[in-house]
Amino acid sequence: MQRSNGEHMGRVITITSGKGGVGKTTTTANLGTALALQGGRVVVVDADIGLRNLDVVMGLENRIVYDLVDVVEGRARLRQALIRDKRLPELCLLPAAQTRDKDAVSREQMIDLTGQLRREFDFVLIDSPAGIENGFRNAIAGADEVIIVTTPEVSAVRDADRIIGLVEAAEKGPPSLVVNRIKPRLVNRGEMLSVEDVLELLAITLIGIVPDDETIVTSTNRGEAAVYDHQSQAGRAFLDVARRLRGEEVPFPVLQEQQGMLERFFGIFGRRRS
Amino acid sequence: MGFFENLFGGRRDRSASLAKQRLMMVLVDDRYKLTPEMLQQMKVEIAEVLSRYLPAVDAGQIEVKILRGEANDYLKADIPLKRGQPDVG
Ligand SMILES: Nc1ncnc2c1ncn2[C@@H]1O[C@H](COP(=O)(O)OP(=O)(O)O)[C@@H](O)[C@H]1O
Ligand SMILES: [Mg+2]
Repeated sequence: MQRSNGEHMGRVITITSGKGGVGKTTTTANLGTALALQGGRVVVVDADIGLRNLDVVMGLENRIVYDLVDVVEGRARLRQALIRDKRLPELCLLPAAQTRDKDAVSREQMIDLTGQLRREFDFVLIDSPAGIENGFRNAIAGADEVIIVTTPEVSAVRDADRIIGLVEAAEKGPPSLVVNRIKPRLVNRGEMLSVEDVLELLAITLIGIVPDDETIVTSTNRGEAAVYDHQSQAGRAFLDVARRLRGEEVPFPVLQEQQGMLERFFGIFGRRRS
Repeated sequence: MGFFENLFGGRRDRSASLAKQRLMMVLVDDRYKLTPEMLQQMKVEIAEVLSRYLPAVDAGQIEVKILRGEANDYLKADIPLKRGQPDVG
């Protein structure tokens, strides 16, 4: 996007959830990598001050010299703090401070920071902390768009509903939704909320359906995004989210039931599920 | 699509439907501070008011849903009217 004065204007997109542990950091890392793979200039920002995480998920933890708080407090310039991805030169990380408390940054500082980043990048993805307090408010302060991640569980959906209200009150426009950790086998048995159930309850636009997938565990162990793994259903789902974010119409594929070791084992004996 | 479509109906056996039903209740309460008891009372009072203008309305037949729209939520009530002799009393 181009401002009238010719200045480059990237999109600032915050990934948030309310409840912790539902997949914000996983989504940010994979979506950022996917957008860069698709040719965008991308920076992912870890706004979870005090609980630095995005660096290890992306395998960049050994390269950190300066962090976000160093930048806003003027100890480092933005360029010094940005860490370039191992494989993709157009992908950068701005790490969170690990030793500072979550109130080390103000909303104005975040707005200023995202304003600088959007001049250099096409996509500025912000990994939000859990909760509805300052950390969350800072994370959405400079955002143009908000993506809400939820799992198909009662508590996560409830918190997502609360967050939707807060995002709308902050006049960020209607957020879009990623439903993460879907287990098709449980959904088919009527033992897990379906994506349709969640959408009916939250009534926001769907942008991604990500299955619960063992490859997320293995790729996180390696510090590589799952989008590199062609065997990964979750990786493919994140690639689709990136394409939708860029305005492409991508149909939602039907998820395959994944079998764990135990099921495969029992499968030999022809055990049937009701 | 209906937000609180199944608020009062349907057989529930699988845990997913139970989860959905519980969520519907919790979200009405979170958003509007409206408990299931209050919702029930509201229907009784809606029936009372309408009965002043229309042939007997049965509170038990009223179905109230809350639908989420773009900018607002909407309260939608389905109120069956008993067809029969017009009451000219
Ligand atoms: N689709 C998925 N399949 C399997 N595990 C997942 C999936 N998404 C997230 N996880 C795991 O769940 C945990 C929490 O995810 P994370 O992205 O750190 O959540 P958050 O940032 O919201 O706290 C991590 O261990 C992560 O590997
Ligand atoms: Mg996180």
